[in-house]
Amino acid sequence: MNQVMSVFLKDLRHYWRETLAAVALLSAFGWQEVRSWSEGGLGAYAVGYGVSSVWPPISGLVGFLIPVVWLFVIARAIQGESLVGDRQFWVTRPFEWTKLLAAKTLFVLTFINLPLFVLDVFLLKAAGFAPQQYLTGLLWMQLTILIILVLPAAALATVTASVAQFFLALLLVLLYLIGGSWLSEQIPSSRFGSSGSLTGVFFIAVCLAVILLQYARRKTFASRLLIVGFGIACIVLLAVTPYRSLVARRFPQLSEGDQPPFQLALVPDLKPQPTDLPSERGAEDVLIFLPFAVSGIAPDSIVRLHGVLYEVQSRDGFRWDSGWKYQGVFLFPGQKNTQLILQLKRGVYERMKSSPVNLHMSLAVTVYEDKNRREFVVPSGDFALADAGVCSAEHRFTRSLYCRAPLRRPSFLLITADASRSTCQSGDEQSPPEKGAIARGWISDESSAPAEPGINPLQEFSVGLTHWTDSPQRSSTGICPGTPVTLSNPEPVRKLRTELSLRDFSLEEYRGPRR
Amino acid sequence: MKDAIRTDNLTKTFRKFDALRDLSLSVPEGAVYAFVGPNGAGKTTAIKILMNIISATQGRAEVLGLDSTELRGRAFTSIGYVSENQELPEWMRVGSFFDFLRPFYPTWDRSLEEQLIRQFELPLDRKLRNLSRGMRVKAALASALAYHPKLIVLDEPFTGLDPLVRDELIQGLLERAEESTIFISSHDLAEIESFASHIGYLEQGCLRFSEELTSLAERFREVELTFAAPPRMPNRLPETWMHVASSAAVIRFVESRFDEARTSADVRTVFGEAKDVTFAPMSLRSIFLAMARAGRETA
Repeated sequence: MNQVMSVFLKDLRHYWRETLAAVALLSAFGWQEVRSWSEGGLGAYAVGYGVSSVWPPISGLVGFLIPVVWLFVIARAIQGESLVGDRQFWVTRPFEWTKLLAAKTLFVLTFINLPLFVLDVFLLKAAGFAPQQYLTGLLWMQLTILIILVLPAAALATVTASVAQFFLALLLVLLYLIGGSWLSEQIPSSRFGSSGSLTGVFFIAVCLAVILLQYARRKTFASRLLIVGFGIACIVLLAVTPYRSLVARRFPQLSEGDQPPFQLALVPDLKPQPTDLPSERGAEDVLIFLPFAVSGIAPDSIVRLHGVLYEVQSRDGFRWDSGWKYQGVFLFPGQKNTQLILQLKRGVYERMKSSPVNLHMSLAVTVYEDKNRREFVVPSGDFALADAGVCSAEHRFTRSLYCRAPLRRPSFLLITADASRSTCQSGDEQSPPEKGAIARGWISDESSAPAEPGINPLQEFSVGLTHWTDSPQRSSTGICPGTPVTLSNPEPVRKLRTELSLRDFSLEEYRGPRR
Repeated sequence: MKDAIRTDNLTKTFRKFDALRDLSLSVPEGAVYAFVGPNGAGKTTAIKILMNIISATQGRAEVLGLDSTELRGRAFTSIGYVSENQELPEWMRVGSFFDFLRPFYPTWDRSLEEQLIRQFELPLDRKLRNLSRGMRVKAALASALAYHPKLIVLDEPFTGLDPLVRDELIQGLLERAEESTIFISSHDLAEIESFASHIGYLEQGCLRFSEELTSLAERFREVELTFAAPPRMPNRLPETWMHVASSAAVIRFVESRFDEARTSADVRTVFGEAKDVTFAPMSLRSIFLAMARAGRETA
């Protein structure tokens, strides 16, 4: 028997309880998932309703325990032949490091990846999807688990001497991530401008380097230094990345003479209704609501305002800018109005509120072309919908479309309907929509990966329709069996940056409701 | 004769503390080399460098012709290493421990394994964690002998063991002495004296001497001079005389470079009035103590 199998079988004998727990938890997850479907059909799964509402504590616990037990299994398996210290018996035995590493890899693949793969295949099959059609996505899920969980956990396990030390190191990593997240909030534009791919590549490289360095040479100090160095490098990278240049590259400035794909004009009369708006939370921030009239959007075009950079200048020369912030506002042809929210620090607001200011906005925009339009009448019961998996419009409490998609949510699925033709019974409190009022709902996921990371290969989501009334308020429209809708899959065709200036703007006048 | 172990100016520094200073020694193949020295002398550090468990700050070491920094994997099929503070897989039963190790060694001798298990009375169904200290050392030693290693390295294997267990271990070792080089560090000088062929004495990280035990025994003598009347102690004494002490009409010292003719001549030169001179051979323990005391006096 070769060394790989000797070590693997030894680990199996020693860690059978841990591996059994990991497999049992995955089985419980699968059982719980399938059980949640069997009662009340697809619509019953809506978050907060149906079976899932009966089991959330257990469901949450299982979901939490699975990665914890995986971490435990990884740490135990690797530390079975600890790479830290100078008293381990195995270092003076004829263990070949490549074979030892292979044995540990085999162990992790056998007791983490393989059961997960089997579970994913089972869930896809149980949900009515043919697993063989989703092999790439299934393998992608395995790869993401390896990169997100296994690789960093293995790297930490190689530089720690015990499970307690491992979890302590993990806690330090979590604290570092929380600190990094806080720091990222303090650095303007960092959330919007960073692609993260460079950090991701370094992350994988450092994890691999630590694992190889430890197995080949057991240079624990150097390996720990590498991890700490990477942590410091990430912080430095976070601080020095030229986010604005990156945004400028991703969203090139609209050239002079080019017509912007949309026009926004501030409409002072469209004052927001307090009930429709988020309230200011805490004493630190002030929210300024900017109601705009929308025009100029070509038919078959959809505009997404990805991010906005606000620059405010008061008459006394005081300047403030927000850095690039995510917005995620969609503008559709025929849409009459929209609103953006400017979040100001209270100190800045207090300094500028007394007199009008010049407000300059840079908008990072993606233009989509509405493609693959098709008419569709929502059937009864569960039905298949291209890109969206299996869907249902029958739900006891809400009137949205619920779907269960294999591996990932659609890149962009737009549902358009004449709100007046909804077959749902309207509630007494709502006046029926005008004839021809366009209601829209959509689900979009920018990622181009073949699957979303996680344990569950099924992505559940709901799409509700809303339509704009004359005021900036939106009203919901139900999707019920028999409702005629238009489905389409918008595709991005252009990214650009455009500017908008508002002169003599009164911040105080547009301030939102306070709690 | 080839050297099984050879070190050149091996130095190990932990921050500002020199654990080992310019250690140069050679252990010929087939030797039973006793590596002795007081606590904290640097014996374990030296052995860990030899076994590539830690790296040296300076200098180099060769083990079975291989640079010690290259010592890993397959090279350990020829080396058996047992240390007093080695962490064994405590959860394993003794039998499983042997089962686990067997495939790693192409030269593993099943009949020798069984013989060692019988000789050391190892309980195969007991977990290593449930064994007494002596039994654990026996299990570790048996697992390090069963594949006929060319080199056996033992770091303080006898510490804290009762005499019976020590004898059993030594017996087990002696039976392997013909086919292996044995490098053993220990405080247990009495036992080592009975079977060591070579000895190295390490003190404060420095090797004071390294030679064959027979030549060491020849080199050290306890000298006793008897006088008619209490003699006058001269200011200068030969450098090879250690611990010179006088008591009434008797002077005693340890000669560390004994040669009967030369030592007698030295005695006559320094103490011409001595009535009687006796040269008594010393035990290894006495030599060790004399060296240790001399080291402390010069420190």
